[in-house]
Amino acid sequence: MDDLALERYFDDSIANDSSCPLEEELAHQAAPQQVPSPSPPQLPETSGPGGKVRDVLDFSFLPDELNPQDDRSSKTAAAAESQAAALDVSHDSGIVQDSSAANLQQDVLSLGLGRGASPFCPMTPMTPMTPMTPVTEKSGIIPQLHEEQSRLAARKYARVVQKLGFPARFLDFKVQNMVASCDVCFPIRLEGLVLTHQQFSSYEPELFPGLIYRMVKPRIVLLIFVSGKVVLTGAKERAEIYEAFENIYPILKGFRKQ
Amino acid sequence: LRSLTLPRVTCPNHPDAILVEDYRAGDMICPECGLVVGTGSWYRIDSNVKGTHPSTFLLQGTGAASFDEFGNSKYQNRRTMSSSDRAMLHAFKEISNMADRINLPRNIVDRTNNLFKQVYEQKSLKGRANDAIASACLYIACRQEGVPRTFKEICAVSRISKKEIGRCFKLILKALETSVDLITTGDFMSRFCSNLGLPKQVQMAATFIARKAVELDLVPGRSPISVAAAAIYMASQASAEKKTQKEIGDIAGVADVTIRQSYRLIYPRAAELFPPDFKFDTPVDKLPQL
Repeated sequence: MDDLALERYFDDSIANDSSCPLEEELAHQAAPQQVPSPSPPQLPETSGPGGKVRDVLDFSFLPDELNPQDDRSSKTAAAAESQAAALDVSHDSGIVQDSSAANLQQDVLSLGLGRGASPFCPMTPMTPMTPMTPVTEKSGIIPQLHEEQSRLAARKYARVVQKLGFPARFLDFKVQNMVASCDVCFPIRLEGLVLTHQQFSSYEPELFPGLIYRMVKPRIVLLIFVSGKVVLTGAKERAEIYEAFENIYPILKGFRKQ
Repeated sequence: LRSLTLPRVTCPNHPDAILVEDYRAGDMICPECGLVVGTGSWYRIDSNVKGTHPSTFLLQGTGAASFDEFGNSKYQNRRTMSSSDRAMLHAFKEISNMADRINLPRNIVDRTNNLFKQVYEQKSLKGRANDAIASACLYIACRQEGVPRTFKEICAVSRISKKEIGRCFKLILKALETSVDLITTGDFMSRFCSNLGLPKQVQMAATFIARKAVELDLVPGRSPISVAAAAIYMASQASAEKKTQKEIGDIAGVADVTIRQSYRLIYPRAAELFPPDFKFDTPVDKLPQL
């Protein structure tokens, strides 16, 4: 549903442009498992061409500390229209929308990056209005880039490229890599682990503080740290991550520090 | 038996010294300063013919000792040889140079050469710079002989970056299907302490401190080099020979903030870390607190 609203938004904004609509060769994937999805951000009804710019996006799902900035960005959006006049005369209406969208994008990006996300939450650049899944946690939003959402983000990038004038098509979307992080909540004796699992482990404190465990059965690489934090990477499917963790957990329990 | 008469060359610095002959290459070496005064090819023919042994005229030795284990001649003559393995020979020379810079004994150099040969013949790391492979082989050989050198020490004598040596190291272990033992703090004590000029007592104390700190798990996740450096700092500060963090950091290749971090971790339990028979110049409570 998010999808359709966004599609509408983009389609409306391109209504003036001569660029061809984005072709979707790939059938839309079925909606995936439970995702704590927020209420979709209310999209403004774009009023015709020469568009009233983004008008006010609903950022209410963002946590409180971001709201002041959120006000700023919505003010920016509202003011964008007045800025439109100040902008270079050579811009036609389509491009005016782009630059204001770019302002918003910058705001949203700076919101995200400025927050000092924990090192275990890799932040990827969010295009404007990518729904950020709020999680009920005190620490704030942790973006859970769901497979479906990453596909959406890719589509948006394709749109952006298309709006720049290139003949863009969105074909063969495939998830190539999935990274996960977790915590076993107890310290681990890495020296013991490297002694018993020599053929899979590589632990060189001079090179990297974590132990690099290359699991064979689901082909996953795990970075295991003394604190008990584990990073799993190299998965093509979500199930591989889960399987790898199920495999490693009893091993790690065996090397718990007393 | 023929005895060699004294040729007419003498060492320029020590004209009175009787030159010692190196039979392998026909060199004449001054025993005072080690200067090679004449090579086999320059051996004066007009000296007493009776006194010259025919083999010294040869540029390439033919005795059993002048071939190394692979059947190749050990000592290169000026003619081009085995062009197919010229890269390998060049690498051996490079390995020898590197080892020489840090005074590594012959057994480590031999082991390095062996490792390099195995890797080279396997061709699985063919795309990598030979110098990088050679440096990594040197690192592995030191580890396997029980006297590990830090990556930084190998970097210091090689033109290859630590990152590349690290990469090649992991690749070689995989290619040769070997593994190496984990480094411990004690492996480096002797070298670092003597480079700093610390007496044996301090070295032994530092070894004890580092070992105890690791046993008590005061420094989880810290590199053994950093822990060793911090232990040396603590031991030296408690003795008469105080060394600064900067000096120790210089020798160990660790940043002084790193030493400070590890030191802060071991400081609270300093009293139990020292060996029981240690003679304190500065008592434990007067140790610097950073």
